[in-house]
Amino acid sequence: MISTSTTSFISSAPFLAPKVRVPNSNPYPSNSIAVRPLTISAASCASTAEKPAMSHTASASSLYDVLGIRMGATNQEIKTAYRRLARVVHPDVVANGPRRTSTQTSSSADDFLKIHEAYSTLSDPDKRADYDRMLYRRRGPVSSPAAMSYAASRFSASMSMRRTWETDQCW
Amino acid sequence: MAEPAYTVASDSETTGEEKSSSTFAEIAIGIDIGTSQCSIAVWNGSQVELLKNTRNQKLMRSYVTFKDGVPSGGVSSQLLHEHEMLSGAAIFNMKRLIGRVDTDPVVHASKSLPFLVQTLDIGVRPFIAALVNNVWRSTSPEEVLAIFLVELKAMAEVQLKRPIRNVVLTIPVSFSRFQLTRIERACAMAGLHVLRLMPEPTAVALLYAQQQQQTAHDNMGSGSEKIALIFNMGAGYCDVAVTATAGGVSQIKALAGSAVGGEDLLQNMMHHLLPDAESLFLDRGINEIKSMGLLRVATQDAIHKLSFQHSVQIDVDLGTGSKISKVVDRGEFEDVNRKVFEKCESLITQCLHDAKVQIEDVGDVILVGGCSNIPKIKNLVLNVCKRDELYKGMNPLEAAVCGAALEGAVASGLSDPFGNLDLLTIQATPLAIGIRADGNNFVPIIPRNTTMPARRELLFTTVHDNQTQALIFVYEGEGKTVEENHLLGYFKITGITPAPKGVPEINVCMDIDASNALRVFAGVLQPGSHLPAIPFMEVRMPTVDDGHGWCAEALHRAHGSSLDLVTVQKKI
Repeated sequence: MISTSTTSFISSAPFLAPKVRVPNSNPYPSNSIAVRPLTISAASCASTAEKPAMSHTASASSLYDVLGIRMGATNQEIKTAYRRLARVVHPDVVANGPRRTSTQTSSSADDFLKIHEAYSTLSDPDKRADYDRMLYRRRGPVSSPAAMSYAASRFSASMSMRRTWETDQCW
Repeated sequence: MAEPAYTVASDSETTGEEKSSSTFAEIAIGIDIGTSQCSIAVWNGSQVELLKNTRNQKLMRSYVTFKDGVPSGGVSSQLLHEHEMLSGAAIFNMKRLIGRVDTDPVVHASKSLPFLVQTLDIGVRPFIAALVNNVWRSTSPEEVLAIFLVELKAMAEVQLKRPIRNVVLTIPVSFSRFQLTRIERACAMAGLHVLRLMPEPTAVALLYAQQQQQTAHDNMGSGSEKIALIFNMGAGYCDVAVTATAGGVSQIKALAGSAVGGEDLLQNMMHHLLPDAESLFLDRGINEIKSMGLLRVATQDAIHKLSFQHSVQIDVDLGTGSKISKVVDRGEFEDVNRKVFEKCESLITQCLHDAKVQIEDVGDVILVGGCSNIPKIKNLVLNVCKRDELYKGMNPLEAAVCGAALEGAVASGLSDPFGNLDLLTIQATPLAIGIRADGNNFVPIIPRNTTMPARRELLFTTVHDNQTQALIFVYEGEGKTVEENHLLGYFKITGITPAPKGVPEINVCMDIDASNALRVFAGVLQPGSHLPAIPFMEVRMPTVDDGHGWCAEALHRAHGSSLDLVTVQKKI
C-alpha cells in the first residue's frame, strides 16, 4: 500500500467528464495524509470497465476516503472536496457528459449518495466526532499504511491519533 | 422529470466548440409560467436572452381568451382594454388552479375570479368554464396552459428559427408531485418535453451561482462559500430558498413555500372595499362578471399605486347600482393583509431553521417576483433578515426565467469557453414523502429538504397475527395525519410469511433520482437478513389521478385496518 496525494487520487479516476475542470492546485498540501489507494478486486474491476462512472467510493474504507481528504481536514476543506466531487459524479453532470448510458447515470447517483452521506456526516461537528470515535475503535489510526489493517493496536494508538487530530485542528 | 428519452449530444468525441455548435439546435429553453405573467429565455451562446413577442414585450400576461370560440393567449393577442380580460371569456390564474381538487381552499378563493369556477366539494377537479357567446364553455387548467404554451413555443420557434422541444419550467416550491404531472401533461399537449421542473427560487439560486462565479473569476479568488436567502413572491405563490454557493455549485440547503401571493393581497383588498362581494356576485350573470371585473381592475390599480404613494383614491362604478368611492392608505392595505405578511415571515424563518443557517451567516438576501415592489414585503424581508440592503445584481422579474434558461443550457450538455456554464444545482426535496402507518399517521421516509438524488428506507411490520398482506399508501406533504397530505399512490404487498404480529420485516425504500422521478420499492425481508423473501415491488409515483382522495377512503372501507403497518423502531 502506498500513500497517494488527493489530487492524483481524484484525477486518476477514469470517469472525468471533459467539461469538468478539476482545480490543478492541491488544496491539501498535507504531508501526513495517507489516503487509501484504490484497491480494486477483480470483480469490481470488471464492473468498473463496464461502467466508467463507477468511482473510487466503492473501494473507499472511510468517509474521509470517500471525499478524498485527510482526517484532520477543516470544515472548509470538507465542503470544497464535496463540491469538487459533486462536479464530477453528480448525475446531472454525468448525464450531460459525452458518453452517457442509463446504467452510468444510476451508478453516478449511487456515488453521489455516498459522497453526500460522507459530507453530511463530516460537516456536522457532532456527527463527525461520533464517527471519528467509531473509526478509531474500529481500525485504529491511519497514519501509517500498516496500521490500516483492522488488527491494529487499539486504545493507545487511537489516543495518539486523537492528539494528532487535535493538533491538525489548531494548525 | 420523466426518464430522459431525448438524445442531445453526439456520441463522438468532440471538442467543446464543435459540440456546442452541433447541439445548438437542441438547447432547451427556459420558461417561467407565472400566475399573472410569463416569460421565455434561452442561452444564446454567450449569455441568457429573454425573447420578446411581436409587441416587444418580454413579460406577457398569462391568460387565454375563448372569444368567438377560437382560443388565443396573452402571447399573441392584444387586449383592447384591461376589462376585456375580465369579461368572462378569459381564463387566467391557471397556475393557482392546476392539479387542485374542489375541496382545496385555493380553488374556493378562485371563485371570485371573473370566469366560472364551480365546486362540488367532494375532492374531484373543479369545473372551470369561459363565457363564450353567452354560454359557459368548459375547459381545464391543463388545456388553458397548453394553449398558452403552444403560443409561446410558436413565438420562440419563429425567433430562433428552429423547432423547440425541450424546456425547463419553473414551478412553485409548494407544488405537489400530482401538480407536477399536470404541468407535464400541459407541456405534452403543447408538444414540449420537460427536461426539468425547477422550483422558482432554485432557478434564481442558479443565476446567483453564475454571478458569484463570474465575480470570483474576476477577483482570481478561490470562491469561498457564500450563503444566500432567496425570497420570491409572485401573484400566486411565495417561495423561499437558502442556498450555499461556491465554484458554480448551488447547493440548495432548504426550501419553503406556500400558495400565498399578490392574488391574495388583491382579494383581501377587494373584500375590504366591498365586504358583501360574494353574495352580490353569486349569480354569475353577465352584469355580475362585469362588476367583478371592474372591481378587480380598480383594486389592482390601487395596490400598484400604493407601492409608490401613501394613499390612493378609489372611484369605481360597478354598474349594478353600487359605487365605491374611498381613500385607502398604505397602512390600511397592510392591515387588511396582515395574515399574508405573517405567512411570508414564517416561511423565511422556517427555511432558515431547516437550512440550519443563522441569519448572520447569510451573505446576500435576494428579493424577486412580482410582489418585490411592495414596500411592506421589502421591509419584512429586510427585518427578518436583519439587513439594510437587498442584493442588487438581478432583475426581480426576470431572475427566475434566466435561471431556467441557464439550467436548460447546462442540461442540454452545453459548455461555455469562459466557464459561464460550469454550473450545477444540487436540489433538495421541497416536501416530505412517506407512507401511512401507525394508524392514520403519515410516516416520512424521505424528509423535507433532503438532498437529491436521495434514497432512504424504513422498516415496518404487521399489526395482526398471521397477516400475509399489507397496503402501502404513499403520501407527500408535511401533515401529521395522512388526510393533510397528498396521496401519490398505493399498492399491495403479498407473500408475508404467517407469523405473530410485529415479527415480519417489511422494507419500504424510496428513491428520487436527479431528475426528481420518484420510485417506491417495498417487500418482505427474509427473517434475520436484508434479502428479500419474494420479489420486491417497484412503483413509479404518482400513480393516482383525479379523485384520489376517494381511493384511500374506499380502500379503507373495503379493508379496514386488516392490511395496516406500523414502524419498526430501528432504522436500517
